[in-house]
Amino acid sequence: MARRSPSLAERHANCYAECVNRRQFARIALGTPAVLMSAQTESLGPADYTINIAPYSLELSRHSFIKTIAYNAQVPGPLIRLQEGKLATIEVVNRTASEEIVHWHGLFLPSEIDGSMEEGTRMISPGSKTRYALMPRPPGFRWYHTHSFAGHNLNKGTYTGQHGFLFVEPRDNPGRYDAEVFLALHDWKGHLLASDDGSMRAAYDVSTVNGRVLGFGEPLKVKANQRVLFHILNSSPTEVHWVALSGHEFEVTALDGNIVPSPKRVPMLRLAPAERVSAIVEMRQPDVWVLGEVRKHIQAAGMGIVLEYAGQNGNPEWQQPEKLEWDYTLFARPPAPTPVEDAVTEIPLVFKPKFTGHGAMERWTINGKSFPHTDTITLQRGQRYRLRLKNESTDDHPIHLHRHSFELSQLPGGRSGRGILKDTVLADANMETWIEFTADDPGLTLFHCHQQDHMDMGFMMLFRYA
Amino acid sequence: MFSVLFASLFCTLPLAAQGNYEIQVYGSDTVAPGTTMLELHSNFTISGQKYQINGVYPTYHQEHESVEITQGINDWSEVGFYIFTSEQNGHGMQWVGDHIRPRVRVPTSWHWPIGVSISTEIGYQRPIYSLDTWTWEIRPILDKAIARWYFAVNPALERTWHGPDVHQKLGFAPDAKVSYDFTKEISSGVEYYADYGGLYAFDSFHDQQQQFFVAFDLNVSPNWEINFGIGVGATAATDHLIFKAILGRRFSWRKSTAID
Repeated sequence: MARRSPSLAERHANCYAECVNRRQFARIALGTPAVLMSAQTESLGPADYTINIAPYSLELSRHSFIKTIAYNAQVPGPLIRLQEGKLATIEVVNRTASEEIVHWHGLFLPSEIDGSMEEGTRMISPGSKTRYALMPRPPGFRWYHTHSFAGHNLNKGTYTGQHGFLFVEPRDNPGRYDAEVFLALHDWKGHLLASDDGSMRAAYDVSTVNGRVLGFGEPLKVKANQRVLFHILNSSPTEVHWVALSGHEFEVTALDGNIVPSPKRVPMLRLAPAERVSAIVEMRQPDVWVLGEVRKHIQAAGMGIVLEYAGQNGNPEWQQPEKLEWDYTLFARPPAPTPVEDAVTEIPLVFKPKFTGHGAMERWTINGKSFPHTDTITLQRGQRYRLRLKNESTDDHPIHLHRHSFELSQLPGGRSGRGILKDTVLADANMETWIEFTADDPGLTLFHCHQQDHMDMGFMMLFRYA
Repeated sequence: MFSVLFASLFCTLPLAAQGNYEIQVYGSDTVAPGTTMLELHSNFTISGQKYQINGVYPTYHQEHESVEITQGINDWSEVGFYIFTSEQNGHGMQWVGDHIRPRVRVPTSWHWPIGVSISTEIGYQRPIYSLDTWTWEIRPILDKAIARWYFAVNPALERTWHGPDVHQKLGFAPDAKVSYDFTKEISSGVEYYADYGGLYAFDSFHDQQQQFFVAFDLNVSPNWEINFGIGVGATAATDHLIFKAILGRRFSWRKSTAID
């Protein structure tokens, strides 16, 4: 927990960085902006990181296992720390029986390696490996996960343990904290269940933090008066989660890895699938506490972890909040006296479900069409775009834009989220959310709902550059 | 909820008896804990038995109104209670009888590929409406929704404890349903209700009850249940033409909040 010394992989990466001469790096970095595939990079020696995708039996609680797919036989996968602007190589080995692909979520990478077959990244065949060379940017808390299709198989895609943290260290880290913790929220043992909206949807038996149910596994250990930086990821395939740390507040400093204009203290965090929150907690309440899901039935399903101050013991304490609280706009830039309206091109996008039977999952449409029949919209490089996300459904949708960050320009109710940069936003049901981005990273760019069942059922589209 | 509670003929009795108080093929879902389901079953025999036989009123132009109250116990069991009434020219509104029906299901956490539950129903009906006054039924329920199709089978077994059919021992009275979702709100299909007589010695086809309904389900809200249809009897022992309707409403007594 304490700010740790470099891991073996990091030491290896550092050594690698020192061993490879600058000319080799420059050739890689300049020859292809961020990618160089196997042949060239293998000549440089071992990769900085290796990810083995393989079947794994995860012990969720004592003597209760789930057979899944994981990275390097652990859930979450290994923490990958990269230096902003310093070329890194990652080798991915697929030891499963089906094609796989790894998406580097939140990074600005070329389409060829971003990790989406819809953008043109090649799938990794069973038994084969691929090496990526990438120039990490932007700095902050990112993650990596499978981007494969699951459909009705709730043991594939993001329903599995294929997720891990990726942190791009900024050139200058101004953070003031004593320790750093990475936590992943995930749901397991999914099955399709009839829902109130008349279609089938995934429901789960078990929910975990870092692959363990509450009370199983090592507690988080902290010391009084420490400032602990929590990096929390919701890697759930479909579920939104609220988490609180009893007796404490979170000072939110970054959303989706990007520093927020107005850090604020909040009693709980809400994370939609794929969202991340970085928040500092001042440890001033020596005791044993629960950090867990606020909703009782989800915490009862296991989503929580014990936090233990040094020298404290006993049963962990949970103080049940009375309501769910979260508001993106708390962290936005204060409104300017006279807002400056840039030249922005608006793109309206309407999300609607399409009924396919009470015994099936709904299909999803963007502007009336399901992927792969959705329109591919052409972007002009350098132009700023406003996506008007009109959610005409009773579901909230975590909307993700690949290879770019966007600004929350207007949230439901006309509230401003200016200054908040994200790569995933939860678009509220029956509401309109506006996001803006500058087309500054040419290449095919995928846009989709990050709920696995929704993207599998057509909730995707592509942008291309002119 | 995608599913509508489907239904069955609880009391298909031999030639001289009546039935058609609750015409429903059951689905495997049970009522949620802390929730009460209130249903009104309205069935009108357009064409049926016109003569009084062995003191039992004829079914012709009888209007049956049955109230069903079902309480969810937990996420795998419920108990239902019925009040049966009949209205007919010359007889007025009459109480017919009451039944109680506990039911358990395979919990969803077992992840079975089909829905499975089993109900048992015990009850009394007045002899002027059925010579078999005390009856018991055990009803296995299997169902499955596949895309727009829904399938349900209820191979029910019946036992008469008091009345002329005591000697029959177990009777076999299967029901089934196949329906198709035309839209999210409207489903329609065929419901089948039968009483073959004794399990080990079926009645002749002439004496069996065989009914087919064209039925509609309106899925307007998870809280409401609306089903109606028209059915024909295929044998002499079956009422020939019946209209049926079910109107149900769920009432939740649990004060659940966003944090529950």
